[in-house]
Amino acid sequence: MSARATRRLMTIIAYLLALVAVVVTLFPIFWIFTISIKSQRDAFAMPPVWVFKPEWNNYLEIWQQAGFGQAFRNSVVITMAGVVLALLLGIPAAYALNRMEFRGKRLFVIWLLISYMFPEFLFIIPMYVLYQQLGLYDTQVGMALVYQVFVLPFTIWLLRSFFADVPVELEDAARIDGCTRFQTLRLIYFPLTAPGISATAILAAIWIWNELTIALALTFDVSKTVTVAVAGFRGYASIDWGGMTAASIVSIIPMLIFAAFAQRYIVEGLTLGAVK
Amino acid sequence: MASRQDLRSGFRERNLQKALGVYLYIGPALLVLAVTSIYPVIYSVVMSFFDWEWGGKVSFIWFGNYLRYLSDRSFWQVVWQTFYFTIGAVSVELVLGMALAIIVNRLRFGVGIVRTLLMIPLMVSGIIVALMWKILLDPTLGIVNYLLRLLHLPTSVWFGAPGSAMPSIILVDTWWQTAFVFIVLSAGLRSLPREPFEAAEVDGATSWQSFRYLTLPMLKPVLLTVLIFRTIDCLKVFAIIFGTTGGGPNMVTESVQTLAYRTAFKFLKLSRSMTLMVIFSIIILALLLIYMRVGERETVREGGSR
Repeated sequence: MSARATRRLMTIIAYLLALVAVVVTLFPIFWIFTISIKSQRDAFAMPPVWVFKPEWNNYLEIWQQAGFGQAFRNSVVITMAGVVLALLLGIPAAYALNRMEFRGKRLFVIWLLISYMFPEFLFIIPMYVLYQQLGLYDTQVGMALVYQVFVLPFTIWLLRSFFADVPVELEDAARIDGCTRFQTLRLIYFPLTAPGISATAILAAIWIWNELTIALALTFDVSKTVTVAVAGFRGYASIDWGGMTAASIVSIIPMLIFAAFAQRYIVEGLTLGAVK
Repeated sequence: MASRQDLRSGFRERNLQKALGVYLYIGPALLVLAVTSIYPVIYSVVMSFFDWEWGGKVSFIWFGNYLRYLSDRSFWQVVWQTFYFTIGAVSVELVLGMALAIIVNRLRFGVGIVRTLLMIPLMVSGIIVALMWKILLDPTLGIVNYLLRLLHLPTSVWFGAPGSAMPSIILVDTWWQTAFVFIVLSAGLRSLPREPFEAAEVDGATSWQSFRYLTLPMLKPVLLTVLIFRTIDCLKVFAIIFGTTGGGPNMVTESVQTLAYRTAFKFLKLSRSMTLMVIFSIIILALLLIYMRVGERETVREGGSR
């Protein structure tokens, strides 16, 4: 067999394996989706039914039960507030880390790295006690704030690498022309690093939206998030497959939209976070 | 003419202004981190020396909590289980992620769409992943056992038996997180220089040889980073255990974090749970230092290549 034929064969095999990987990746989600639009009888049928008449009432019912609608709204608010807060705090901090000298800088950087490593409950229990005293327990504000423990270091870290790509000369030129630091940030950094800032915001949003551990401990009722609401179906896993699958699909959809539109940014953010 | 005194005080003023400027940028972030992460860590460490239940009174007991845990065999059992999960999940994910990266790297077209599709599990919350797989792996009504029966392969009770519960959770994590390894390693592969591979091909190297002697060594820094990220994430495992087995059956899938959750929020033993987290953080930190040291030594040995 010639070298070219071998290479062609290898490519075909690569495509076949990639296809297998895609099927294994997507089939579970597809199957969960079909269960969510099956009638109760079809959902539990064994052998499973592949052809059936779709029913959408699970999707209507979840909004009425177990506070799912409220939880969904809470997650939207907490995610947006959390991301905005992280960017407001993170952008100036990342800029300062790149372009300014200050005492304790090294310690600050080390802390940013270390806080990613700490297990959640190390923070959760003290925050639980503090929030009970301050009246922040089970509030949207409290959640947007407490998420900064992971989101802020991560945001600063990513933005720092994006900002590092901005040429110093450009900034110096602007400074000489009389720009203040805030103006250089606004007129030079924002336009040049807009993709990087978006990538950071998207990754932070995905992280907050999907977070369970902290939300489980620090919310109870009025501010519980969508993940906590979905976890509420856990005890009924053997009974209410319809509600559980519909709730899961509904909570995945916003993230899938992100994945579809911002795939490149997400990849960039993930790799940058890990490689740099 | 300004005297030296004036000059110096002007200097000091400028420095002060500069310092104030820095804290205008860094201060707000510092303040929020002080509340959300520095304060809790200090609080946890301090409270780990006390005996305290939620609603009860606080009494100082020196290293009482620590001695209790360190001499408790069931605690070490849980630590071991957490490591068992981590070693299993991380090694499977690294091998599969590497294989996927190489496969997708060979594709001529459609790379973007394949990557987007493979990335989807990363967008899904751990608790949803857990509940999905609880349905898929249901022993009697699940699709997986049905497909296995169809192919005349042995079925399993998955989460239901002590022997298969932890491997099932490793399986779930593999489905969930392999894409992370894949994406980072793909970027790593694309960043490698082409010349060594071309030279190797001219010299008649097989693809295994160029993988073993070129790809792997050159990817080592990226591999090490992925390894560190995945190891830390796996040691912190919570949602996928909470959502599938809840630590059972017979506590064989209890991880350090699910134990901390139960200790604090079911048994209300707050200080004990904080002790648990302090010990575990020290273990993770020690492990991280070892990894970094090994990474450093590797780089030095190779003459600081990349």
